[in-house]
Amino acid sequence: MGLTRTPSDLLPGTLELLILKALVSGAKHGYGIVEHLRLTSDDVLRVGESALYPALQRLLLNGWVKAEWGASENNRRARYYTLTARGRKQLTAERAEFDRMVGAIQQVLGTT
Amino acid sequence: MITIWRRLRHVLSWSRHDADLREEIEAHRALRQDAFERDGLAPGDAADASRRALGNVAHAVDAARDVWAIRTADSVSQDVRVALRGLRKSPGFALVAVGTLALGIGATTALFSIFNSLILRPLPVRDPGSLALLTNGSWSYPIWEQIRARESDLSDGAFAWAGQRFDLARTGQSDPVDGAYVSGRLFDVLGVTAIRGRMITPADDSAASPSGPVAVISHRLWRQRFSGDADIIGRQLTVQRVQFTVVGVMPPGFFGPDVGRRMDVMLPFAAEPLIRGRETRLNDKGSSWLQIMMRLKPNQEIEQTNAALRVAQPQIVEGATRQSVLTEPLTLAPAATGNSALRTRFETPLFAMVIAVGLVLLVACANIASLLLARALARRRDLSVRVALGSSRWRIARMLFIESLLVAAAGAALGLMFASWSSALLVRQLSTSQNTVSLDLALDWRVLAFTAALACLSAITAGVAPALGLTSIASGDVLKDAGRGIAGDRRFAVRSALVVAQIGVSLVLVVAAGLFLRTFASLNQLPLGFVPEPLLVVELNLQASGGRPEERGARVERLRDAAASVPGVRSASVSSTRQLTGGGWSSGMVAVGDGPMVRLRSVGRPSLWLNATMPDWFKTMGIPLRSGRDFEAGDRVGTGPVAIVNESFVRQYLPGEQPLGQHVRLGFDAQTRYEIVGVVGDAVYTTPREGMLATMYVPVAQRPPKTFWPTVLLTINAAPGQRAAVERDVAAALTRADPAVAFTFGTFDQIVAATVTQERLIAMLSAFFGALALLLAALGLYGVVAHAVRARQTEIGLRMALGATSSSIVRLVFQRVGLLIAGGLALGLAGSLWAARFVETLLFQLTPRDPLTFAGAAAVLVAVGILAAWMPARRASRLDPARVLREG
Repeated sequence: MGLTRTPSDLLPGTLELLILKALVSGAKHGYGIVEHLRLTSDDVLRVGESALYPALQRLLLNGWVKAEWGASENNRRARYYTLTARGRKQLTAERAEFDRMVGAIQQVLGTT
Repeated sequence: MITIWRRLRHVLSWSRHDADLREEIEAHRALRQDAFERDGLAPGDAADASRRALGNVAHAVDAARDVWAIRTADSVSQDVRVALRGLRKSPGFALVAVGTLALGIGATTALFSIFNSLILRPLPVRDPGSLALLTNGSWSYPIWEQIRARESDLSDGAFAWAGQRFDLARTGQSDPVDGAYVSGRLFDVLGVTAIRGRMITPADDSAASPSGPVAVISHRLWRQRFSGDADIIGRQLTVQRVQFTVVGVMPPGFFGPDVGRRMDVMLPFAAEPLIRGRETRLNDKGSSWLQIMMRLKPNQEIEQTNAALRVAQPQIVEGATRQSVLTEPLTLAPAATGNSALRTRFETPLFAMVIAVGLVLLVACANIASLLLARALARRRDLSVRVALGSSRWRIARMLFIESLLVAAAGAALGLMFASWSSALLVRQLSTSQNTVSLDLALDWRVLAFTAALACLSAITAGVAPALGLTSIASGDVLKDAGRGIAGDRRFAVRSALVVAQIGVSLVLVVAAGLFLRTFASLNQLPLGFVPEPLLVVELNLQASGGRPEERGARVERLRDAAASVPGVRSASVSSTRQLTGGGWSSGMVAVGDGPMVRLRSVGRPSLWLNATMPDWFKTMGIPLRSGRDFEAGDRVGTGPVAIVNESFVRQYLPGEQPLGQHVRLGFDAQTRYEIVGVVGDAVYTTPREGMLATMYVPVAQRPPKTFWPTVLLTINAAPGQRAAVERDVAAALTRADPAVAFTFGTFDQIVAATVTQERLIAMLSAFFGALALLLAALGLYGVVAHAVRARQTEIGLRMALGATSSSIVRLVFQRVGLLIAGGLALGLAGSLWAARFVETLLFQLTPRDPLTFAGAAAVLVAVGILAAWMPARRASRLDPARVLREG
């Protein structure tokens, strides 16, 4: 079933960061987020449900996203997540932090 | 902070969130199935594939849920569910345990809520912490005027009040309510505002009040007498036969600055002369009858105000007292909790009762501990399986503790209900016909916190023993041992210790109950010196109708004659002073013959009690005339002053002499020489407890008419069995003879009962607590013996099979019981001997270590213990050895 990224494989907080980013382009349901991440990462990132839903709950708990029940494209009831103002702010902050981390990691790896 | 709030909200709507999550994941799967179908899979295959892709849904849900939940809270809620299920499975145990605790916690909370209302709770007014009371005692109105003149220098506002009983009847029999005269700024300074109309203002408290005579009434009076009518403002209210206009209704929680009294009618001091006429006390420098409170200035310590007060003291004294009697420095005391005459009186008894009820609670907890332990032991197989399966011992202890906590919580909830009912009942018991005690017993945070603390304490006390008992559960042994207990089993050690403690504490309580009951009984058997059964006492108030004091003598004689002519009245007479109130009319110094003035008793206590009577009073009361004569119609103003003395007087002042013809002079009136014309038997004057005191009687008709008493007592001796009918007819006759007179009926039975209110209450309560503790200890003993017999039945059966007789089996059981009881008695006697000295002040004619009471209490406990052990012992002796051995 391909590669399933779970939180322990990623840097801590990366999944949340990716979800927040996925929601910037508009409200999505859980499956939509998974698909969005899969497509935009050229099939590299496949997020499993047992990682996705706890992450979404953490985002809800922190008030960075909010959830609402709505109808999906083929008329199924689905829960849509939207970014809140605080979520947007969090995304900017975490993105900067992530860039710094990645830069640092590359620097470490680049040093011979 | 916000996340905590969200978390909490989440936990509260836990089931909805859970459903949401499951639905959401199902939607996720369905969307994936749609995607698979779009990719060309058959619908059935697509569904399977989507399910496979999803992985473990339960795990996903759990993991998502865990984000919110706090782990321990979750497992605690599981423990609570397990404990609830356990309690539901044994309703008998749950009922006994919860009921026992409800009684224990309820009784303790009831006493505490009285203690709280009387002593701890601040007045329900604005900023009670800055109030201060002028101590010690009461003050005259001129002193108040002096302080009022300096009010703004000394304080942020001062006020005075004087508690009174007001008669609201228009005519005839009086209709008393508690009330007060208050100064104009009382409500303003206290920050109490009217819920209807307005409160009394300084303008009302002046002779030239623009609103005329005004009154404010309590919320209760408004609801009960005026059925809460909206147009109450402006209505007329008769107070002491004078018409007042109701200008306002006080808020519901406000009862006045006196704790223990509820002031239903408040009048300004300016109204006092309207009621008392020329006998007004507003200008009287000699009578102290009011209380003064101040509100301290912001940021000012009480000591600073005291200093300022002392600087002003010389001027206050000069302006307000006849002689320099005010020598003690004026002192303010913090008065956040108001003023109360009840506090000093009830502090010791209340404290003793709180201790007693706390001991009862302890016995109740011991019982529950014992029951819980028995349950834990009965379930030890189940528990040791849990241990074997990896449950930690801590987890099992927690489970047992949660069980006791649940029982305690249920007991506390029921106990609160029991408490609010029983504390109201207790406070009603404190009221007498003369003195209504009223306390606001509404639950407040103190009472609730106290009850919660009690519940926790009970849970801990009851839960520790089972947890200790569990140390004997070693997973291996218990699984092998299927209940074949033998003598000396360690598991019974904890329960036996509990029973010994219970018996000990019960003995302490039974000893206390014995001491208090005997005190009450001996107070009740004290001779009164007169025959109370046929007597009716009518208080005649001659002041309310106005009229000059000089006319009262004739009015009283007319009223006496009207009462005497009613059929069924054997005789009727009048006295000036009510007996059995604890006080009365007295003289500190006495001289007999030409001898010097002597003070018989210590300073502050009178040497001689006085009463003024009309002819036939002794006959009416049933006090025997020993020698000489009664007063006669000829003893009037202008004839030589005469007096009658009692036998105690003769014993103390004229031992061995002929009293008739001797002369007596009194300290406050040294010129008058009273000639003794008669000697009567002793009768109680102050209280039965004080016994027979030297008393002198003088004729009413020889007192100066200008100072005739505003109230006198008409005593009526009714024919047997006719007291009720006589009361009705006399009331009608009195109103016919003098429509203006106000009167109140009473009986000596009530008056005598009122002198022992406190002792009766203590005896009643301690007897109740003693009985309760005894019952609980008996239950505890029964439980432990029954359990021991059951656990040892194999051994007993074996002994019987080997030839033991049933009486030897009973002996075997009682050997153990005897040890338990003996241990308990030793503990209890030691405790009682130590605790006895604390109740010494509450006893009468008994030493606190009264051997008879101690022996009696021990005998009661032994009897109850034998009774409790008898049933299980008998059951043991009737075991069928064959069956026991086959089944055991």
